[in-house]
Amino acid sequence: MKKYLLLSLLSFSLFGANSLLAQTPSDEILMKKYELCVAATYDHGEWNKYWEGTYLRGNENIGTLTRNTVMPMVAAGITDKLNILIATPYVQTKSSGGQLAGVKGFQDISIALKYELLKKKMGPGNLSVLTTAAYATPMSNYLSDYMPYSLGLGTNEFTLRAIVHYQLDKGMYVRAAGAHLWRGQTKAERDYYYNNGSYYTTWMDVPNAWNYNATLGTWLFNYALRVEASYMAMKSTSGDDIRAYNMPQPTNKMEMEQVGFFAQYYFKKKIKGLGILSYYSQVIDGRNMGKSTNMGVGATYQFKVKDSQ
Amino acid sequence: MKKYIITLLTLFFVVALVTSCENDLPTRADFSSYEFSGLDVNGGTWKPVLLSTPSQIVVEAPEDVTSSAYQAELASLKSATANLNGTQIEAVEYWTNNPIIRWNEIALELAAKYNLIPGPNADGTYTLPNAASPAGPPPFPFAHPPYTSRMLAYLSVAQFDGLISAWHYKYTFNRPAPYVTDSSIPYAYTKTSLPSYPSEGAVIAVASRDILTAMFPLEADFLAAKAEEHLSSLIWSGSNVTSDIEAGKYIGTEVKKIALARAAGDGMKNAQTTKVKSDSIKAAAFARFGWQWDNQESPVRPVGLTPLFGKVKMWNVPTVEEVRPGIPPAPGSPQFEKDVQELKDFANNLTNEQRKIANWWSDGLSTYTPPGHWNRFAKEFIIKYKMNPIRTARTFAYMNMAIMDAGISCWDAKYYYHYPRPIQTIPGFKTILGTPNFPSYTSGHSTFSSAAAEVLSYIFPNEASQCATWADEAAMSRVYGGIHYRFDAEAGIEQGKKVGQYSVNKAKLDGAN
Repeated sequence: MKKYLLLSLLSFSLFGANSLLAQTPSDEILMKKYELCVAATYDHGEWNKYWEGTYLRGNENIGTLTRNTVMPMVAAGITDKLNILIATPYVQTKSSGGQLAGVKGFQDISIALKYELLKKKMGPGNLSVLTTAAYATPMSNYLSDYMPYSLGLGTNEFTLRAIVHYQLDKGMYVRAAGAHLWRGQTKAERDYYYNNGSYYTTWMDVPNAWNYNATLGTWLFNYALRVEASYMAMKSTSGDDIRAYNMPQPTNKMEMEQVGFFAQYYFKKKIKGLGILSYYSQVIDGRNMGKSTNMGVGATYQFKVKDSQ
Repeated sequence: MKKYIITLLTLFFVVALVTSCENDLPTRADFSSYEFSGLDVNGGTWKPVLLSTPSQIVVEAPEDVTSSAYQAELASLKSATANLNGTQIEAVEYWTNNPIIRWNEIALELAAKYNLIPGPNADGTYTLPNAASPAGPPPFPFAHPPYTSRMLAYLSVAQFDGLISAWHYKYTFNRPAPYVTDSSIPYAYTKTSLPSYPSEGAVIAVASRDILTAMFPLEADFLAAKAEEHLSSLIWSGSNVTSDIEAGKYIGTEVKKIALARAAGDGMKNAQTTKVKSDSIKAAAFARFGWQWDNQESPVRPVGLTPLFGKVKMWNVPTVEEVRPGIPPAPGSPQFEKDVQELKDFANNLTNEQRKIANWWSDGLSTYTPPGHWNRFAKEFIIKYKMNPIRTARTFAYMNMAIMDAGISCWDAKYYYHYPRPIQTIPGFKTILGTPNFPSYTSGHSTFSSAAAEVLSYIFPNEASQCATWADEAAMSRVYGGIHYRFDAEAGIEQGKKVGQYSVNKAKLDGAN
C-alpha cells in the first residue's frame, strides 16, 4: 500500500479554496526510494457569502467569487521513509458582480519533506506517525493586498505538521493531524494602512495559524479505491477583522471549519501507476473568509526512476 | 539520532528565517525632539486666518518670575520633573517639542478609522451617518476625502491662529522658560530662548482635542485622554509651569470656538443632499450637456457623495466659479474615444510599475484619503527642515486650506458637469481600483494633490520638483486604476494649481516670509 501515493495539495487557499486537501502533505502515504509521482489537479471554489468578522453577509458588488486552481505537483521518494513534494498552483479569480478585475497567475511554490517517524503493528492494525515540514514562497510578485481576488497571501510560510494514522488490516482508517503555520510579512503596494491603528509601511504582518484535521476513511476493492470523509479547521493566532463593508486585507484573522469527501481510484491492472481523484468540500463556519464550496478532480501517475535494490 | 538532530536544527533555522526577517512596523513618524531651525520671534505679528488680530483673544499678564506665586509653581515643577516613571518618560518622548506632528497623526488615524462607506441595509436601502446621533449605525462621520479635507483645514487653522496668539503674548510678556529661571530644572528637549507664557503646547493640545472632538464625536474620550497626556507631558518635560499651561489652554479654547463657529456656517451640513435635490442637480447637468453620471453599485446608491460640497465656503478663493475648469470632451467625441482607448490599453497591459502607482496613491476606504497623504508628506518635510511649532502650524494651515478649497472646487466641477465614470461609459470595463460614488470630471486625487503640491512647493522650494512629480503621479494613478479618463486627471492638475495659488498668494502676505 505504501507504494501508492495520494496526491497532497500544498496550496494555501485564500478565502477557502481547495482547503480540504490544502494542508501540507497530511496523509500517511509514502513513496519508496526512487519512486516518482507527477500529478495535476483542478479545483473550482466559489462563494457568495463571506464572514465580515463573524458576521456572515453577501455583497452584490462581488456577487459570486470564483477561484479556479490548477496545480501541478511532483513528489519523489528520497528514502523509503523520506519523501519530497513540490507544487505550484496556477490560480484564476473573478467575481460575477461589481467592476473589479480578477487576477490570474502562479501563486506560491511549496516544497515539503515528509518523514515517517514510526510505523508499527498495533492490535488489529498498523499505527504510523509522520511529520512534514513545508516551506512556501510566492512564485511571482502578485499583489496579496487585493483581497478577495488576490492569488495568495504573498508571504513566506513554514509549516510543521504531525500526523497520526491508524489503519485496520481490513482497510479502514482514522487519521488526525495538527500543524502550525509560521507566516512572514507581505509587501503591499501602499505604505499606509489601518489595522486597529495607523501603519506607515508597505509591510503587513500575516498572522500565524493553527491547522487541524481529522479523517475517517477506508480502502475498498482490494486497495483500488479509497474514500474519506474529513473535517478541517484553520485558526489564525492574531489579526484584525474585515471592517464594515470594506475589503479584506492580509492582516485579517482568518478562521474556518470545513467538511469534505474525497475519493481516489487506482487503475492497478489496466494502466499501472495511474490514479484519479475527486473531492468536494464545504466551509461550514468561518471568520474573515468566504463560505466556499470546492470541487476538484485530479490525476496522479507514479513510476520508478530506477530500482531501489 | 544524528539525523534527527540535523533535521531539528534545520527546522529551527527555517522558522527563525521566516520570522526573523520581519520588519518592525512603524505606526507613527520616527523622530525625537529636535533643535528648531528658527524661533520666529515675530510670529506674533503674522496675519491670522480667522482672528482679526493676534491680540483678539485677550490673555492677562502673568505673575512676575520673582513673585511667590511663580516660585511656588517652579518648586512644584521641580518636584514633578524629578523621578519620572517609565510611562511619563515615554509620553515626553512621544509628544516631542513639536506636538502638532502627533496631533496631525491622530487626525489622520481617525480619518482612516472613520473612512468607511455605509453598506446597504437588508432591504437594499442605505442609511447615512447622522451627526445628530453619531453612534449610528452607521457611525458618524463617514470621513471621505471632502470630510477629511475639511477636518484637517479646521484643525490646522485653529492651531495656527492659536499659536500666532500665543507667540504674540510670549513676546509681549517675555516670561522665560522655567529652566532659564532655574537652571536646576531639567528640560527634556533642546533648550531655546522661546518665552514660555502662554504654553504653545497647551494651545495645541486643547485646540486639537476640541476640533477633533467636534469632527469625531465618538472619539471624545480617546481625544480627552490624549490631550490629558499631552498637557501632563508639558510638566514632565519641564516645558511649562501651570500658569503657562492655563493661559495656553485658554487660547486653545477661545480659538476653537472661533474655528467651530465658522465650521457651523460653512455649508457642510447641506453638502449631502436629499435624493430629490440630487436628481435635480443631475437633471440640470443632463439638460446642459446631454450626459449624466449614474452610480453603478448594487444596490444603486440613490445619492452621490456630498453633491453640494462645491457650495461650501472656501478659504482663499473668492468664488468657486472662477476656478471651474472648462467643459470636458463629450462622450463619443474623438478626444473622449482616444482617452477611452488608453484606458482599455492600460487595463489589458498594465505594467507592474503602473499597477504599483495606482495602488500607492489609491488612498481609498479605510485610509487617510489623499488629503491625509499630503499631510503625511508635509509632516515629513516639517521634520526634515526642523520647523518650530508656529511654522509647522502655518505649513499645515495653508496646505490644508488649499486642499479643502481644491476639494470644493473639484466637487463643484463634479456635480456641475456630472460626467459619467469609465465603468459607466465603457461596456464590461473592469478596474483594479474601486470606482467612488461621485462623478468623474475632474479627478479629486489630481485636484487635491496639485493644490497641496503648490503650497508645499512654495514653503519648501527645494522640494518643488518632488511635489510636482508626486502630484502628476497621483493624477495618473487614477487613469492606471481605470477610474478616471486622462482628461479628468489633466484638468484636475490645472484646477488644483489654480486653487493652490490663491492660498500661496495669501501666505506670501501674512508676514512670515
